[in-house]
Amino acid sequence: MSDHLTLEAVDADGAIREAFEDAGGTSRAGFFKKAFAAGGSLTLGGILIGGLPAIGSAAPSPANDVKILNFALTLEYLEAEFYTRASASGALSGEARELSRVVGGHERAHVAFLKGALGAKAVKKPTFDFKGTTEDQKLFLATARVLEDTGVAAYNGQGPNLTKATLPAAASIVSVEARHAAWVRDILRQNPAPKAFDDALSMPAILKAVTGTGFITG
Amino acid sequence: MTHVTLRQGGFAVALALLLVFVAFAYGREPATDATGTVDLPPIPYSSESTVQPLRVVSSTVGRPRLLSDVDGISRYMGVEKPVAARSTPSRSGRVVARLSTRTPEGTTNVVLALRRVERRGSLWIQARLPVLPNNTLGWIPRDALGGYNQVTTHLVVKLSAFRATLYRGRKPIWNARVGVGLSRWPTPRGEFYIRNKLTKYSSPTYGPIAFGTSARSAVLTDWPAGGFVGIHGTNRPQLIPGRISHGCIRLHNADIRRLAALMPPGTPLSIR
Amino acid sequence: MTDKLTLAAVDRDGAIEEMLDKIDGEAAASRGIFLKKSAVLSGGLIGGGALLGTLAKNADAATATDADIANFALTLEYLEAAFYTEAVQMGALSGDVARFARIVAAHERTHVAALKKMLGAAAVASPSFNFQGTTESQAKFKATAQVLEDTGVMAYAGQAPRIQSTAILKAALAIHTVEARHASWIRHINGAPPAPVGFDKPKTMQQILAAVTGTGFISSGPAMTASGSNPSFTG
Repeated sequence: MSDHLTLEAVDADGAIREAFEDAGGTSRAGFFKKAFAAGGSLTLGGILIGGLPAIGSAAPSPANDVKILNFALTLEYLEAEFYTRASASGALSGEARELSRVVGGHERAHVAFLKGALGAKAVKKPTFDFKGTTEDQKLFLATARVLEDTGVAAYNGQGPNLTKATLPAAASIVSVEARHAAWVRDILRQNPAPKAFDDALSMPAILKAVTGTGFITG
Repeated sequence: MTHVTLRQGGFAVALALLLVFVAFAYGREPATDATGTVDLPPIPYSSESTVQPLRVVSSTVGRPRLLSDVDGISRYMGVEKPVAARSTPSRSGRVVARLSTRTPEGTTNVVLALRRVERRGSLWIQARLPVLPNNTLGWIPRDALGGYNQVTTHLVVKLSAFRATLYRGRKPIWNARVGVGLSRWPTPRGEFYIRNKLTKYSSPTYGPIAFGTSARSAVLTDWPAGGFVGIHGTNRPQLIPGRISHGCIRLHNADIRRLAALMPPGTPLSIR
Repeated sequence: MTDKLTLAAVDRDGAIEEMLDKIDGEAAASRGIFLKKSAVLSGGLIGGGALLGTLAKNADAATATDADIANFALTLEYLEAAFYTEAVQMGALSGDVARFARIVAAHERTHVAALKKMLGAAAVASPSFNFQGTTESQAKFKATAQVLEDTGVMAYAGQAPRIQSTAILKAALAIHTVEARHASWIRHINGAPPAPVGFDKPKTMQQILAAVTGTGFISSGPAMTASGSNPSFTG
């Protein structure tokens, strides 16, 4: 089980780990599941903490747009870095290499655009450890597929929360992510369009999925 | 660690945990800005159009594809331009008939599509034609015809039994006794289709509803408007069943009303 | 930490598969909005030209209602569903192209059903279509499908910001990305770049309607009935 580095750093005396087990999860997933079961709030030792739901699911507003775009930017940072490292690793050949080049270019452009939109309010780029998935073609493709499908679900989940002024930008990005997803899937001989309606996932669900990869290390 | 200890450290722990998630999601907590706006720069669209224009690409010659009588589906198409139907799928084929876009009743002239073939990048449709001699087929360039319209019904008239049966797929869903053409004006045998449906006219001779077919009298060749065989009601139902008409198929008015509720125009018609 | 764990960690609890919002559940609520506002469009047969004219009338008016937008989307979905369904039936496709057509046909029919359900009595009827051979040859099908899907992406992107109802918006967004997957897929089959640009461009309703009209696919269908005059059959 991958431990979240930042969590360990604050859990010097193991208090959190115990609370974690106390909350009924022997696994990180179980803990998060319980934590988010109440709509994104964390319950710890009987104390209810207002958690993430206030962020990203309130009525559309320019302030909320900032939060959502920073959420998107975090995902784009992740994707951009993933493809950048994969392209640099020399492990890719043929169409996988071409995909990493083209899609990486798009994700880097998405990062640049969102940073430009957010200006001083843009979050900083996290640090990443892709755990070898950028250094092996099979792992690269499997991971790319998951990342792109996740990106689609993330943007579609936030679309209704954005102001009308910001939605066009999200719309022009999400369809590109969907194209990426279908492209990877077709290379893998999986169904490029597995559903008639694409999933839309909430911010907590996306964060849970991304956290679970352990790719973000700080 | 006991619960007591946890409760005491609980709030600090919870706060730390919250900061973990916030830190993960948002990096350094941005300075709060009550008026926080997003100054969206113009979205950097590419200046090139990515939508390819439709290019008609020629393809190889293919085998004829069946369009009708397959799995109980038949297809008819409107004639959208005046066009010559030919004996072969080729512009140099002998002209079998010239088709106009309208019937004498003013409805769209339609043909029953049987097969499709591609020749030198062009599609040709082999169709049943509403011309004499009866049962004539001809090849028509697909671009003179409209879209495919599907029907799953099939009307079969057995002359010597004086009975008509409507099928949907293989299942009979309606039948009735009929009057047919007198010996000197026989109802033609063969494969045809229902061309149109007429209603709200004044003549009681035809009952409330009349269907036009692609079949034509082979003997009443001077009949105005081409001598097309119709399927219609009557003001002399006592004559049915029997050989009674100039070629048309006559039904009791109640029967044709039921038929009209079940049979769309374009339905293939077999007269046996 | 194994490599396998990384992927398993993401999908372990079915996070990716989890659907947090059901589109259907909110459809009934939104229908109330439609029935009040939709004055222009009504059910019943409308000839192709009349339908396009009706849609175009409200195309970029600031007051385009959710019903207008949903009916615009429904018309495009009617077209796509009919195109792919006919292509499958015509039997001219093989291999990956045939598989693409089968799967996409089912999606588009699902989109039609969902939009009709959301609109209820306000749903426009399907126009008639003449696909002019593009469903009957593999080469023409491939080129046409690529254009239709790219167009669908631009259509939904153009309308999403104009939609008021959250339920309709969620449905539109969920369809929008599926059309993008279709577009990428057929492009890949065709040897064209699946994702040609980093930011997909939207198009207005006017632009989309003009493009669709230009294909000639929407037709009024043959007139098969007549009234008033006595039959001239042999009798």
